Amino acid sequence: MSQLEFAHVTKKYGDLEALSSFTLSIEEGELISILGPSGCGKTTALRVAAGFEKCDAGQLTMNGQDISAVPPQKRNMGMVFQSYSLFPHLTVAENIGFGLAIRKMDKKKRESVVSDMLDLVRLVDVGHRYPHQLSGGQQQRVALARALAVEPTVLLLDEPLSALDAKVRVEVREEIRSLQKRTGTTTLFVTHDQDEALTISDRVCVMSNGVIQQVGTPREVYDNPSTAFVATFIGETNLAVIGGKEVLVRPEHTRVVSDAEPDSFRGIVQSLSFAGPLKTVVVRMSVDENLIRATMTNTVGDDWTVGQEIGVVFDHVLRPADH
Amino acid sequence: MNKRRTTWEWPVIIVVGAFFIVPMLAMTRFAMQRVPMSLLGRDTIFSRWTIRGLMNTITDEKFQPAFFLSVRLGIVTVLLVLALLLPTVLWLHLRAMRWKMVAEVVSLLAYVVPPIALVVGVSGAYRDTVPWIVSTNYGLVPLYAILCLPFAYRTLDVGFGALDLHTLVNASRSLGASWQQTFRKVLIPNLWTAILTTSFLAFAVVMGEFAISSLLLKRTLPTYMVEAQGREPQGAMGVALLLLVLTTVLFMVLGRVQKKSPTSSSQEIRITP
Repeated sequence: MSQLEFAHVTKKYGDLEALSSFTLSIEEGELISILGPSGCGKTTALRVAAGFEKCDAGQLTMNGQDISAVPPQKRNMGMVFQSYSLFPHLTVAENIGFGLAIRKMDKKKRESVVSDMLDLVRLVDVGHRYPHQLSGGQQQRVALARALAVEPTVLLLDEPLSALDAKVRVEVREEIRSLQKRTGTTTLFVTHDQDEALTISDRVCVMSNGVIQQVGTPREVYDNPSTAFVATFIGETNLAVIGGKEVLVRPEHTRVVSDAEPDSFRGIVQSLSFAGPLKTVVVRMSVDENLIRATMTNTVGDDWTVGQEIGVVFDHVLRPADH
Repeated sequence: MNKRRTTWEWPVIIVVGAFFIVPMLAMTRFAMQRVPMSLLGRDTIFSRWTIRGLMNTITDEKFQPAFFLSVRLGIVTVLLVLALLLPTVLWLHLRAMRWKMVAEVVSLLAYVVPPIALVVGVSGAYRDTVPWIVSTNYGLVPLYAILCLPFAYRTLDVGFGALDLHTLVNASRSLGASWQQTFRKVLIPNLWTAILTTSFLAFAVVMGEFAISSLLLKRTLPTYMVEAQGREPQGAMGVALLLLVLTTVLFMVLGRVQKKSPTSSSQEIRITP
């Protein structure tokens, strides 16, 4: 039995359908990401799960029980928010102990759980500090500890990394994954960042305009996108014409060759860019004037120049381009 | 530019300071020195200072009932204003931002409706239906609450606006806290300074309100003081001065509380890992 299940959940704001017959089940101990551009309904799905929004149709079940009408405080979910959500008047330790105090856990036991949690997020020394004395990354780690302290049935993460700078973001993201694995907490993670979703999830749910486009492992959604939206939203794609048909090809499956290979298409080099071990070549195709990108190792093509006529080979076609 | 600012700084401070301090010194002298203005000179400046006038007024048998009535009315008004406004402003910020304009206009009513109109309107409307509003002392409380609305609303509005209210409320509720617990354990502590400021301001308004209580023939501190001014002008002035000092002390305490609060921005220290 899945731990959390959305069954045909629909949520409307006026005329706008933010979630349209949203169906997704999350297994115990799994980390599933909802990935999509802003306004696609991913946060609405999370807010419905948390109980901050009521669904207009459909059902939400937790361990087989219908929780659609259960208020947020009775759902036993932990949540980490996009903006810093620590209570400013409480110390770090008091913040972590908040949910436990609400559950009337006795003081000794509470202190021991808080110290375990501080240990878990490697912030043992900051228990007495106030949130404004912490960096952004530390605040989000405390928020994570606070959410996990109540041993939630499901952990909800609402773009918890988006306010952090790039380096800290990677650190905290890895920490979230390792904590989630260690505690075995079923987790629903909302993000618009494909790197985040692909690196830490067991499964990814790609959404657009309130509709689920595909649910699968990171590998599946990257290698076998079920719609053109998924193909173009996750990773980069080229629109190429092969045999008179428009198809999508990944830049890493696009190869530039100097000599005319039997299957190659002709084009003119538009630009060459160097990025450490990799090189990106942009070619304007002769057949349709489309620009395509090819990414390859830096060991080839030292003699290519802008304006040179060149051959392009597509090693693997991702899928047809839908219109 | 900088130099010009420092050149002008002191004269401005002196002029503005004098504007506030000279009348207070004059009040103090009038209340506590029994030397006529015409005889005031270098040799008489320190002579015949006394607090007898103030003591006479304070010990007058009518003073204490009036004073304590005003204090009681002040406390009840503060409670009423907070009970009305805290949930309202919370609701406006969380659920009904589009109604904020309406709330702001309504909160200004006290400036638009003169006290005489308020009293005539209220006594006309309620004399037969809710007679206690006109007949009892506590009938003043709803009227005082209206008088306090303009700044009470604004102070709380700014307090709520400074918080990331949605996130705090959602965080608290997701951790298992009910609405009441969220209000008590998360919102009130973070709004503490706004609540204190509102309370002090409302209390100060009630302690100084004359027009309504006089029109409704209630014997509050201000009406008593106007009456006492005829009998013992120095004593009445002394009481006014005392109230001024008390209010100043209250606001200084408030300033200290604000600085000490962990949520105050004056303590903004960021320590990076």
